Amino acid sequence: MELIDEIKTKVIEALNLEGMTPDDIDNDAPLFGDDGLGLDSIDVLELIVLLEKNYGIRLATPAEGKAVFRSFAVMASYVAEHRSK
Amino acid sequence: MIRVYCHGYGVRTPLGNNAGELLQCILEGRTALKLHTGVFGCPVPFVASLFEDRASAPGLSFFESIAVEAAKDALAGTDSASVALVLASIKGNVEKIGGEDVSLAASARRIADALGMEIPPLVVSNACISGLAGLVQGFRMLRSGRYSKVLVLGAEVQSKFIVTGFQSLKALSMEQCKPFDAARDGLNLGEAAAAILLSTEEGPWEIVSGAVRNDANHISGPSRTGEGSWKALCQVLEGINPEDLAFINVHGTSTVYNDEMEAIAIDRAGLADVPVNALKGVFGHTMGAAGVLESILSMLSADRGVVLPTRGFSTLGVSRPVKVSASASKTDKKAFIKLLSGFGGVNGALLFRKGGER
Amino acid sequence: MKHAVIPSGASLPELYRSLAGDYPKFFKMDTLSKLGFLLAETLCKDEPGRFTPREDRAIIVCSREGCLANDLHYAASMEDFPSPAFFVYTLPNIVTGEIAIRNKWGGETSAFVMEEFDRERLSELAREAFQDKCTRSLFLAWIDCPSDTEWVAKAWLIDKEEIENQILD
Repeated sequence: MELIDEIKTKVIEALNLEGMTPDDIDNDAPLFGDDGLGLDSIDVLELIVLLEKNYGIRLATPAEGKAVFRSFAVMASYVAEHRSK
Repeated sequence: MIRVYCHGYGVRTPLGNNAGELLQCILEGRTALKLHTGVFGCPVPFVASLFEDRASAPGLSFFESIAVEAAKDALAGTDSASVALVLASIKGNVEKIGGEDVSLAASARRIADALGMEIPPLVVSNACISGLAGLVQGFRMLRSGRYSKVLVLGAEVQSKFIVTGFQSLKALSMEQCKPFDAARDGLNLGEAAAAILLSTEEGPWEIVSGAVRNDANHISGPSRTGEGSWKALCQVLEGINPEDLAFINVHGTSTVYNDEMEAIAIDRAGLADVPVNALKGVFGHTMGAAGVLESILSMLSADRGVVLPTRGFSTLGVSRPVKVSASASKTDKKAFIKLLSGFGGVNGALLFRKGGER
Repeated sequence: MKHAVIPSGASLPELYRSLAGDYPKFFKMDTLSKLGFLLAETLCKDEPGRFTPREDRAIIVCSREGCLANDLHYAASMEDFPSPAFFVYTLPNIVTGEIAIRNKWGGETSAFVMEEFDRERLSELAREAFQDKCTRSLFLAWIDCPSDTEWVAKAWLIDKEEIENQILD
């Protein structure tokens, strides 16, 4: 599986995005706000845990997270560059 | 109309077990907040106010033990059999989760038994406003005419469960917290037990009214408009002219969003000229105990004609011009408001007035 | 006085699809909150003026076990990667917040814990809640869910006059 699809699968599971599949989510669509997946502040924190757990990436603050979680494309390239596992 | 008064009180905090001494500590600028490393098996250090001596009474957990001790001081000399217990706590014995019965119901039963109380106890677990909501509940039980005395007992101890949880929310500061300050960056957790005996007999302080309102906005983020807090304030303001308020003792957790939200609510309610103080810089956020503990200290300070200082505050860091008390000041006013907010979007306000003042 | 029950072990996603279907946040909730949400949907989905913000309806949720089922999930996660999504549901009153948000009820919300289901005590709690002069209507629930598969979940929608001199149906 491509990294971006792997991340999508993990996010769908971690955030309980019921009824969604990786194909439903556009690589460049925003994760937050009403036009995107509509994720909120708790989801950001859960995504921070997801990155640490699966890829060994530690983000210190939600603000740092928001920059990384702009879209799945941004997230995948960040993971590819910074992963330690 | 039945009126409700505060009689005895009791406190257990890492800074002292006597409310008068605790008040003195606050005036001297002391704090129980310090960095803890490796405590409770938490992998990441944290700043908190924790008891050093963690001995339990036989048959009781540490949480129940400090609750019983604070309650005994509040009950001194009262026949407890006819006193109803309202216990306020968020997590009780959660440190023991996985093995025994950690329910707050079981804790309340053991506490009531240890105190010789015969009426089935009630637990209020309404997030960070639990102590305040417990006082509102006790107030109503007395006003219903079915009870003559209610002991409202707030208690909380810390554990790996709570500390790692707040760390996962990135809500803790690694320094001593700074309520309403421009440099505030999170809260500190604290442990305490505090009790107030409420009665319909006339006493030194009266609870005039209380209100609880929900933001109906988000389960963990405070409302950007201070909605519920403002509504709760408006409700209790019906019982007082704002000019008669000595101060508002706020929640002041020192998270960026909570303090900003409270400033908006206070300003919207037309209270920007009333002194505001917060005590989290002394003993941290004592969760279920906060409403009771902070109400006791507010009553005692008003008795002495003092508006307590806000330890940790120096430069106003909220968008509204609220009058945060950096240092102690004098007051001759005989009423105050206690304000709290919590997860679940819940907010509460209580109006206290010196007995015989209306 | 309207009354609703969700039988223990019922499929909550199925109930959600038949009662609501338009609120994906449901799937992020713990079981306690899901039960509270669905009880409120059952009692209020056909109410005129649904979703018009109101302050005159209070929410009370009572139980013995609070949010124990979710607490166990959080406790399991905290040993390696503490989960913020589990932690935010480790308060027994989050269910009242979820109901308030969904329905835009900005009145009083409370969570109580007591040793057993007691119709008279709950009726007393309801009367005490109506002492707030803003409160004219009350969503009162007993939801005890020690696990994600077994529970007791029942709720009443009560007008002030209906509880003055009587106990819950």
